[in-house]
Amino acid sequence: MSGRIEELELLLLAWEDGTLDDDGLERLRGILRTDEAARSHFLQMQMLTAALRLEGDAGLALPDVETLGVDAAPPPRKAPPSRDRARRAYRLAAIVAGLLVCLLTGRLAWLELTREPTASLTLTGRAVDQPTEEPTSLGIALVTQLVDVDWGDGQDAVEVGDALSPGRFAIRSGFAQIEFFCGATVILEGPAEIDLESAMQATVRNGRLRAHVPPAARGFALNVGDMKVVDLGTEFGLSVSPEGADVQVFDGEVEVQNRTDERRRVTAGRGLVRKPGGEIEETAATADEFVDFADLEARAQNQQDSRYARWKTWSESIRSDPRLIACYMFDEPDSRRRVLESSLLPTNPELDGAIVGARRVPGRWDHKGALEFKRPGDQVRVQIPGEYGSLTFACWARIDSLDRWYNSLFLTDGYEQGEPHWQILDSGKIHFSIRAHERKTKEAPHRVIQSPSFWKPALSGRWIHLATVFDIETGRVSHYLNGRVLNRQTIPKTLLPEQTRIGAAAIGNWSMPTKPDAPFAIRNLNGRIDELLLFSAALGDDEIRDIYENGKP
Amino acid sequence: MDQTSSTEDFIRQLAEHQNRLYGYVYSLVGDHSRAADVVQETNLVLWRKIGEFDSDKPFLPWAFAIARFQVLAHLRDRKRERMLLDESLVETLSAEAGQQATQIDSLREALRQCLQRLQPDHRDLIERRYYRSMSVADVANALDRTVSAVKVALLRVRRQLAGCVQKRLAAES
Repeated sequence: MSGRIEELELLLLAWEDGTLDDDGLERLRGILRTDEAARSHFLQMQMLTAALRLEGDAGLALPDVETLGVDAAPPPRKAPPSRDRARRAYRLAAIVAGLLVCLLTGRLAWLELTREPTASLTLTGRAVDQPTEEPTSLGIALVTQLVDVDWGDGQDAVEVGDALSPGRFAIRSGFAQIEFFCGATVILEGPAEIDLESAMQATVRNGRLRAHVPPAARGFALNVGDMKVVDLGTEFGLSVSPEGADVQVFDGEVEVQNRTDERRRVTAGRGLVRKPGGEIEETAATADEFVDFADLEARAQNQQDSRYARWKTWSESIRSDPRLIACYMFDEPDSRRRVLESSLLPTNPELDGAIVGARRVPGRWDHKGALEFKRPGDQVRVQIPGEYGSLTFACWARIDSLDRWYNSLFLTDGYEQGEPHWQILDSGKIHFSIRAHERKTKEAPHRVIQSPSFWKPALSGRWIHLATVFDIETGRVSHYLNGRVLNRQTIPKTLLPEQTRIGAAAIGNWSMPTKPDAPFAIRNLNGRIDELLLFSAALGDDEIRDIYENGKP
Repeated sequence: MDQTSSTEDFIRQLAEHQNRLYGYVYSLVGDHSRAADVVQETNLVLWRKIGEFDSDKPFLPWAFAIARFQVLAHLRDRKRERMLLDESLVETLSAEAGQQATQIDSLREALRQCLQRLQPDHRDLIERRYYRSMSVADVANALDRTVSAVKVALLRVRRQLAGCVQKRLAAES
């Protein structure tokens, strides 16, 4: 770095700090007047400072709809100290805009409009972007199996792999397997309702369950009213209904504690029924009334088979959708060929992909294939001719972690006019861009449209559905996770290409057409992909939802 | 396009480009609250000139031209206050400032990634100086270090951030 640049940086730092004297100021201007490189550097530094200011001062973000209120009345203002001027100015601008929009088109339009700018301005995402401490997670138990579950009212649907926090967990029908962090496993048979209290304890309000408690989890307890069932390392069933509570021990021993009747031990093959009045009767255990783990496994397998069959039927029909320009179903698990067959109908082998490095592994279902991308060179090379307008990308992916700055889903080689790049940032945002202008022009190459961060460590190793819709008519880009919209933003007209094209591209990685010995940017995905659809149209929300619903494992 | 949707489009663009306007103006005035004032004045002027707004033409060059004019007016109105740049330097720098400000969203995204990679004490330094607007002397006081040590550290961290951001931006395109 040249001495002048270094001097400039020092002078600028003093200026920002209010400690630059007149001579220094004149010196700074002198450098800028005479040195073109210094001018460029100066602007870079200034832009960085401006960006830091924007990051730091939450007041610069446009206010939320909530703080503005429906009537867009200015929020009550404290006598602001002078450094709050900035904040005020922005708020005023937003309010002017808000007032006008409300007057013109009502609240809906306001929501629509504000969502876009605030998506890029809002700073609430900072906790995710800049962890200052070790990441933490919440929960006392994990959902490890769900079979034919119908969620009752007031229960948010959870998915296999989700962690459960203390609170009510209810299913209307079906079976849910829950693994408590202490090591105890419970199969709940709907209708059932339980209150999770800790990693060692829950209260059963009603329903039937089977608990398996390995030695490491001894002491796991279930409460029923004022009765407590403490497991001493065993397998037992518990059924709670208005007619009373029924404890049956299949293996080992449990201790039943009662307010009136202190402690009773129940051993394998025995049961105990507590009537609503409180009287207790001993019975023999009838294990087959409670669904066991092998049975649940079989039911889960059945569900897998039927979901796979449903997906198979759906995939057969989508393959001939005339809007599809590329379609890879990865449904050839036993193939040894290093070719990823194009699934488009009518068949066109020209669209087959060449597998480089990536390994064949099981996909969403055991019978279905997928490709695993792990190493820096792993990818599938494809060649997709033609020129298009709008584009829709949709894929099923199982991400292990987001290790790279850019984690590729689907990228054209290089990045020329009209070519799209679809990837995920290490911060967990879907990152979509399409080059609008040729390289030679001085104009900005594109407008990147990112989703908010969707990634959390709990998603690691789970199949998720990602989609991005680019509408070339309006410039609107919508990002989706699991069939739901993450956000929408609009690329301004000046940064829209006239046409889109793919040509040579890679799935799960990015290839730069460079010299053979040049180093390449590492952008491979760390995870699996088992379906990729590319449409030459902007699909609607319903259609994305449909792809997700028909494909969820 | 009817008038209502043209007005909507105008507001949409205005809101969308606030950060770019701020970056542009900040780089020419080098002061946070002055920059915010000038941006607000620019917003008002743009609003008054809504009649000249043509949604088929790029918004940003138009907005930058008006912002540049507002920066110059600001310099003239406050002759007695010390300003970072004089009029001729503003004229010289404005075109490139506009080009760079266009990319401020990408820059911010890159910056966020780069901030994550800073050592905790370096990030702390940046947060104190730029998020909480502490003076170098105050930072030095709080950290029990000398002013010159903080200056050197700030320069170094900024250089590191700038380098990281430039690399990221280059990787993006």
